[in-house]
Amino acid sequence: MPQRVLRRDFLGGLLILAVAAVAWWLAQPLPSGGNGGVGPGTLPKALAVILGGLGLILSVDALVAQGPGLGRWTLRGPLLILGGLALFGVAVRPLGLAVAGPLLIIVGAFASREVRWGETLVFGALMTLFCVGLFKFALGLPIPLAPWLMGY
Amino acid sequence: MELIANLGVGFATALTPMNLFLCFIGCLVGTLIGVLPGVGPIATIAMLMPLTLKVDPTGALIMLAGIYYGAQYGGSTTAILVNMPGEVTAVVTAIDGHEMAKRGEAGIALGVAALGSFVAGTIATLIIAAIGAPLTRLALLFGPAEYFGLMVLGLGLAIVLARGSVLKAVIMVVLGLLLSTVGTDLETGQERLTLGLGELSDGVDFAVLAMGVFGIAEILRNLENPESRNVAVAKVGRLLPGMAELRKCIGPVLRATGLGAVLGILPGNGAVLGPFASYALEKKLAKDPSRFGKGAIEAVAGPESANNAGAQTSFIPLLTLGIPPNAVMALMVGAMTIHGLIPGPQVMTKHPTLFWGMVASMWIGNLLLLVINLPLIGLWVRLLKVPYRLLFTTILLFCAIGIYSINNNPYDVYFTAFFGLVGYLLIKLGLEPAPMLLGFVLGRLMEEKLRQALALSEGSFMTFVERPVSAVLLAIAAVIMVIAVLPAVSRKREQAFQE
Amino acid sequence: MKRAVFAVLALAASSVMAQQYPSRPVTIIVPFAAGGPTDIIARISGEYFSKALGQQFVVENVAGAGGTTGITRGAQAKPDGYTIMMGHMGTHGAAPALYANLKYDPAKDFDPLGLVAGTPILIVAKKDFPAANLREFIAKVKDPSAKIKQAHAGVGSVSFTTCTLLTSQIGAKNIVAAYRGTGPALNDLVGGQVDYMCDQIVNLVEQVKGGSIRAYAIATAERSPALPDVPTTKEAGLPEYQVSAWNALFAPKGLPKDVAQKLNETLVKALDDEATRKRLLDLGSVIPDTAGRSPQALQKLVESEVARWNPILKSARQ
Repeated sequence: MPQRVLRRDFLGGLLILAVAAVAWWLAQPLPSGGNGGVGPGTLPKALAVILGGLGLILSVDALVAQGPGLGRWTLRGPLLILGGLALFGVAVRPLGLAVAGPLLIIVGAFASREVRWGETLVFGALMTLFCVGLFKFALGLPIPLAPWLMGY
Repeated sequence: MELIANLGVGFATALTPMNLFLCFIGCLVGTLIGVLPGVGPIATIAMLMPLTLKVDPTGALIMLAGIYYGAQYGGSTTAILVNMPGEVTAVVTAIDGHEMAKRGEAGIALGVAALGSFVAGTIATLIIAAIGAPLTRLALLFGPAEYFGLMVLGLGLAIVLARGSVLKAVIMVVLGLLLSTVGTDLETGQERLTLGLGELSDGVDFAVLAMGVFGIAEILRNLENPESRNVAVAKVGRLLPGMAELRKCIGPVLRATGLGAVLGILPGNGAVLGPFASYALEKKLAKDPSRFGKGAIEAVAGPESANNAGAQTSFIPLLTLGIPPNAVMALMVGAMTIHGLIPGPQVMTKHPTLFWGMVASMWIGNLLLLVINLPLIGLWVRLLKVPYRLLFTTILLFCAIGIYSINNNPYDVYFTAFFGLVGYLLIKLGLEPAPMLLGFVLGRLMEEKLRQALALSEGSFMTFVERPVSAVLLAIAAVIMVIAVLPAVSRKREQAFQE
Repeated sequence: MKRAVFAVLALAASSVMAQQYPSRPVTIIVPFAAGGPTDIIARISGEYFSKALGQQFVVENVAGAGGTTGITRGAQAKPDGYTIMMGHMGTHGAAPALYANLKYDPAKDFDPLGLVAGTPILIVAKKDFPAANLREFIAKVKDPSAKIKQAHAGVGSVSFTTCTLLTSQIGAKNIVAAYRGTGPALNDLVGGQVDYMCDQIVNLVEQVKGGSIRAYAIATAERSPALPDVPTTKEAGLPEYQVSAWNALFAPKGLPKDVAQKLNETLVKALDDEATRKRLLDLGSVIPDTAGRSPQALQKLVESEVARWNPILKSARQ
């Protein structure tokens, strides 16, 4: 039984079904009446139902015809890359590109197994400098540089 | 004869040293900025627009147009090299283009894209010059009902785009459609599926979705399998396409030009469908359709040509009617207005030098793009050889800055990260992102047009059948969907039989 | 004695600050995407400010939720004069009626700097609309059997609020089609799929001049030099329809008095500057007269607009 459940497409179908269910629930308060009976809620609800149905078919199909299993999943890459991006988002307005840039590069670099401390720090600084020169000065983008230091 | 005279005026204007220089600068800068991952054509034009404020209106427009093409081609370059399509039209290029890059054929892909775009651009320019104005009259016949038909047709094409299982492709398309409903309802102003987040009240931004699901997910995938990437990169073959490859592309390029040119004229972003239509057509015409999705050269040549043809002809509604067909053109209108040149139906008659100068410089711009980009191919390919641990962080930073610059909102960066996770999940579950993106783009347009058509017909669904163009389009859409789904269904039946 | 010394010192300090302002680039938040009328007006005036005050006045586009996202960010910024914003009739007039969870109060959370330019509203219809003037137009629109179709650029847009005002004033109920932006709406108007719409003159002037749509009236006191043949609503028989999409500069509340004064003075000078005036007038926009350029006039305008739009839009909104 566990072997069957861990089939990739079975889980995929279940995930789709779950997404469809959430979408349908979120679309509940939307009215369906409107021109020709198509209101704000009509399309989301209809799509959610169709999606759920298709997800179900995918799961059932996978139960019957043994498909591929789940591959190998890693945590390090996603965590650090997505975390790095999130940190950039948090830091860019209060601390500016001068801080958010190196932060993103350093945190992101650790997602790779080949990361080296010294190289990463130097590269982070250089790349940020380049981006500042290009985006801030050459193109005049209104991205904050270092509000805590220079006010803009 | 009048055509030749007009083109003469145009070339005389476009070939003045100043305008030629501006065109060149525009193309060059547009390409360089457009190449940056995360920075799509809209962001590029918005960033570079202030540069054009220093020149006279005609020159500024020529430069802006150059920036536009440059940004488009730069976006295609990023799509092929790092799987980061900055714009809808680059999504299709990314599918097979990036596969080719992974096989070490990045140079060939880029070369074919550049050459195909040039041919398409030349033909499109001739079309604009010859029959641009009358064509707009035709396009005005397209009302919401007709557009709806076209969008449904596009959905059918989305299914053909699938590499593997049709069921999964349909699931992804529907998911994309569902995602497109997030935001504020057009008619009533109500928030839909926004989880109460103010940042979602305008819906999901396409660039955010594409960067996350394609680009970030690609980085995550590469980090997991460093060996497979290193092997592919080491295998850099010829830098430019050879004669055999070029011959394979002639058909796709010509067909795609036709498709792209016609769709580009439709005001309202019909150009979006061009690359998808070309991909579907070539896949159906190919002797071995299974190559599609794994790096078929026709799948890059066709869509890129359709892309460029559409980009050119989408200037027609702008120059003849003064109505921008999409967000990029709307930006151009803004830029023109700042220069004191408000586009409208009289531009062609009251400012003939401007109009024909722009048309001529379109062709020159295409030529310059070729001249600029073919040598650059060697540079890009060499860039791919930079150790990945340095390359991917650079891509991340550019992407973050580019995404932030769309609307100066950090939430866009958070969402990109979220969609990166989604993309990673999709890869692990064997689901392809491309149909989802197409569903997303089409979904918005489709629902808008559906509800407009129903509003205008006071709720009658008959309007879709009563109006001839709409009925025809819906019929074609039905046929396409049947063709797409039939093989899968019959295969299932065979399987059932065997068991 | 001590008080006098302090007073003198404070005066000196504040005047020094005023002289020092601006000492670095200033951000003008434009709550709409680049290229639209408000953005264009902001850029034109920003250029003058940059030249006059010697520091870059950079436009930062923060679009979303009908302009309220950008204004919310502006309202929450530090009131040091380095972040100002371009608000307009929608964000500082109609917004409280349209958005239930509005995070700012247009009348209380800002220090008004001054009106910049207003774009008059035009009533336009498709090319072959069966009416020779505004009176016939109104009659047709009010007639339910004529099934007249109105287009607007989305709930919260200028075309939506101004057309809602029109229909409520003349007592008409039409078929309404919502579009995503002015472009698509205008497209269908030119194509004849819809019958009429109301929008800012900037978006429509070339179309009217080119003859692809027809204009029935302009909702201001005087005819526009850009379209001298179009009668005002007063002349054409609907004097109560007076509306323009005004654009103004605001700062978050708490701006130092001298910074505010400097900005207002520069704005007044900008509106008298030949080059700036020409570009604004070419767009069809209306430049406020001397009396209308003061911060007090702007504050009064905001308060009256909020009061005006409240009843009209509350009933139209779900």
